[in-house]
Amino acid sequence: MSDTEQSRPARRFTIGGALLTLLTILAAVIWFIPIYWAIVTSLRADQATVTEFTLWPSEPTLAGYIFGITNSKLPIWYLNSTITSVVITFVAVFTAASTGYAISQLRFPGRRLLWWIILASFMIPVPALIVNHFVIVANTNMLNTYQGIILPMLLTPVTVIVYKGFFDGLPKEYREAAVMDGASEYQLFYRVFLPMNWGVTTAMAIITFIGAWNSFLWPFLAVQSEEMMTVTVGITAVQDAFGVAYGRVLSGAVMASLPVALAYLLFQRRVTQAIALSAGIKG
Amino acid sequence: MASVELKSITKSFGAVEVIKGLNLSVAEGSFCALLGPSGCGKSTLLRMIAGLEEVTSGKITIGDRDVTHEMPAKRRVAMVFQNYALYPHLTVEQNICFSLSLAGVSKAEQKTKGGQVARLLQLESLMDRRPAQLSGGQRQRVAIGRALVRDPEVFLFDEPLSNLDALLRVQMRLELAKLHNELKTTMIYVTHDQVEAMTLADKIVVLDKGVISQMGSPLDLYNAPANRFVAGFIGSPAMNFVPATLRKTAGGLEAELTGGTKFRLGDRAAPSFDGTRRVEIGVRPEHVQLGHADQALITGRVSVIEQLGNTTYVYADTASGPMIVEADQSVRLSPGDTIGLNIDTDRAHVFDETGMAWPSVRSAT
Ligand SMILES: Nc1ncnc2c1ncn2[C@@H]1O[C@H](COP(=O)(O)OP(=O)(O)OP(=O)(O)O)[C@@H](O)[C@H]1O
Ligand SMILES: [Mg+2]
Repeated sequence: MSDTEQSRPARRFTIGGALLTLLTILAAVIWFIPIYWAIVTSLRADQATVTEFTLWPSEPTLAGYIFGITNSKLPIWYLNSTITSVVITFVAVFTAASTGYAISQLRFPGRRLLWWIILASFMIPVPALIVNHFVIVANTNMLNTYQGIILPMLLTPVTVIVYKGFFDGLPKEYREAAVMDGASEYQLFYRVFLPMNWGVTTAMAIITFIGAWNSFLWPFLAVQSEEMMTVTVGITAVQDAFGVAYGRVLSGAVMASLPVALAYLLFQRRVTQAIALSAGIKG
Repeated sequence: MASVELKSITKSFGAVEVIKGLNLSVAEGSFCALLGPSGCGKSTLLRMIAGLEEVTSGKITIGDRDVTHEMPAKRRVAMVFQNYALYPHLTVEQNICFSLSLAGVSKAEQKTKGGQVARLLQLESLMDRRPAQLSGGQRQRVAIGRALVRDPEVFLFDEPLSNLDALLRVQMRLELAKLHNELKTTMIYVTHDQVEAMTLADKIVVLDKGVISQMGSPLDLYNAPANRFVAGFIGSPAMNFVPATLRKTAGGLEAELTGGTKFRLGDRAAPSFDGTRRVEIGVRPEHVQLGHADQALITGRVSVIEQLGNTTYVYADTASGPMIVEADQSVRLSPGDTIGLNIDTDRAHVFDETGMAWPSVRSAT
C-alpha cells in the first residue's frame, strides 16, 4: 500500500497518458452501451421498446422475462445448456490436460506426429468441419441427443496447446524428483503435474464453459426438436415464433448470457490471480 | 548404508561421449565429492547413479545389488536437486512425506516420520507453509528432508548449495557435515566449488572431460596433484605456473626460468632424459616468500594487493610471468613496488608437456 502511495507523486501528467485514458474510457463505453441498452430494453413494456429512448424505462416491467419463462421451453433449454456445457467443460479440459501432459512429458512413438496433427487441426476453422460433423452425427443417429451436441465440441486443440506449453515450461526436476520418490505415471499426472497449478485448469475450464454455453452454430444444426435445444438456439426460436418483439427477445438474450456473465464475474479475480501466481513461482 | 561401485561406465548423448570408461568405488559411509569444471559430466554421472539417465555401457552396483538397469525408485538412493524441485502445491510436511504418501503409508506413520525429519532439520515450525513462503536456506532443508524421510542407502547431491548466498552456503555446509556425522550414510556430492569439496568430503574425485583426473583425500590432492589440471583446480588462489627448462646436474635437477633464474629442485621421480626438457613449475602462493629484490631468486613488480585481514595476496609481474604470493598482514607494499620472490623449491611441483606431475620423492610416499 505504502508503495503505491510513494510512487504516486512520481506519476506526472502527460498528454499521451491522458489521451490513452480517454481512449480506454471511450472503448469501455462503446462496449457497455449495447449491453446496457439490451438490459434496459428488456425491462420496457412492449410498445415502449420502439417509442421510448430514455436511459431508464418509465414503467419497468418483467413481462418479457415472464413471457419467456412461461410461454417457451426456456427452463428446459437452460437445463440442456447446463448439461451439455458442464459435460463438455469437464471432458474437454480433462482430455486436453492428459493429451498435453502426454505430448509434453512422455516419450512414445508418434508423439511428434500427434503434436503436428493437433497443431494443424488448430489451424482449421470449426465451420470448415461442420458438414463432416453433421454427416457423422446424422449417420450414427445422434441428432437431437446430448451426445450429438457434445461429441464434436470436445475437440479443443487450443486447450491441448496451452497445457503442453505449461507442462513444457516446468523444470524437469519435478518429474525426476517424483520418479525418485516412487511415483507411477498416473501419480505423476494426478498428484504432481495437474495439481501443481489449478490456475491453468480453472482458466481453461471457464473459457471452455463460456465457449460451450455461447456456441450456436453446431447446436443449431445438431438439434431440431424443441425439447433438445440449448438456450442460444432456443431464443432464436422465440424471435421466429413471435415476430419482432424486442422486449421478449432481449430478455431471452439477457437470460441466456446470465450464467456466462456470472461465471466470469465470479471467477475473474481467481483467474487473473492464479495466472499471476503461477508466473511468479520459481522452481 | 551401502557402497557404490561404478565399473567401466560410459555415457554418450548421440555421437558425443560425455563419460569415458569411468571406474569409481565409493566406500560405505563415505562422503565423496565429484569435483570438476562446468560440463565435465558430474551431473550426468550422478544421474546415472540415481537411475535418471541410462548408462551406455558399464555396471553400477549399490551395496551388493546390481542396479545398472533398476528403476530409480528401487535403488534406495535419494537425490537433492540444485533447484530443490519442491512441489509448489504441497506444504512443507506434504513435500517431506510425499514419497511415503505415494507408497500408501498410513497418515499417522507419515506424521511421525515427517516429524522426526523435521526435528533433525529444524523445520518443525514451518510444516504448514508452502515452498513459496520459505527462504532459500529453508527450501534447501526441506529438499534434504524429502530425501531423508526415505531412509536411503545413498544420498546424492547435485550442487545443492549453489543457489544460496555466500554466508548461507557456509552455514549449510556445516549442517551437511553434521548431518553426515550423525547419519553416517554414504553421500555423493557434486560441486564445482573446490572449497566445498575440500571441507566436506573424505574423498574427492576430480573429473575432467568425462574422465577421472585424480581421486584421493582432500589433502592428497592438495599436496600431491597428479597433473596440472588438478593442481590448478584445487587451491584458492590457484597455484602459480611458470615455464622452465630442466637439466640434470650432478646434484639433481636444475630448473632455469625464462628470466635466467636458476635453482635446484628437490628430489623427485623424474623420468630419464637427455639434455634439457621443457616443463612447467607449479608453486602454491603460500610457498613463495617475499624477499629483498637484490637477494631473491626472482624479482617482480607489484600489480595488485588483496588484503583479506588474516592474509594478504600480492600479485606480481615477473620476467617468468605473473605470480601470486601469500604474505602476512604486516606487509606494506603498493602497486608498482619492486619486490623479490623466493620459491620453496622442495615444495615446487613439476609438470611435463603432457601436464603429468613428476611427484617429489617426499610426497609420493
Ligand atoms: N540430455 C543431454 N543431451 C545431450 N547432451 C547432454 C545432455 N545432458 C548433458 N549433456 C552434455 O553432457 C556434458 C556434461 O553435462 P553435465 O550436465 O553432466 O555437466 P556438469 O559437469 O554437471 O556441468 P555443470 O557444472 O555445468 O552442471 C555437457 O557437455 C552437456 O552438454
Ligand atoms: Mg551439473
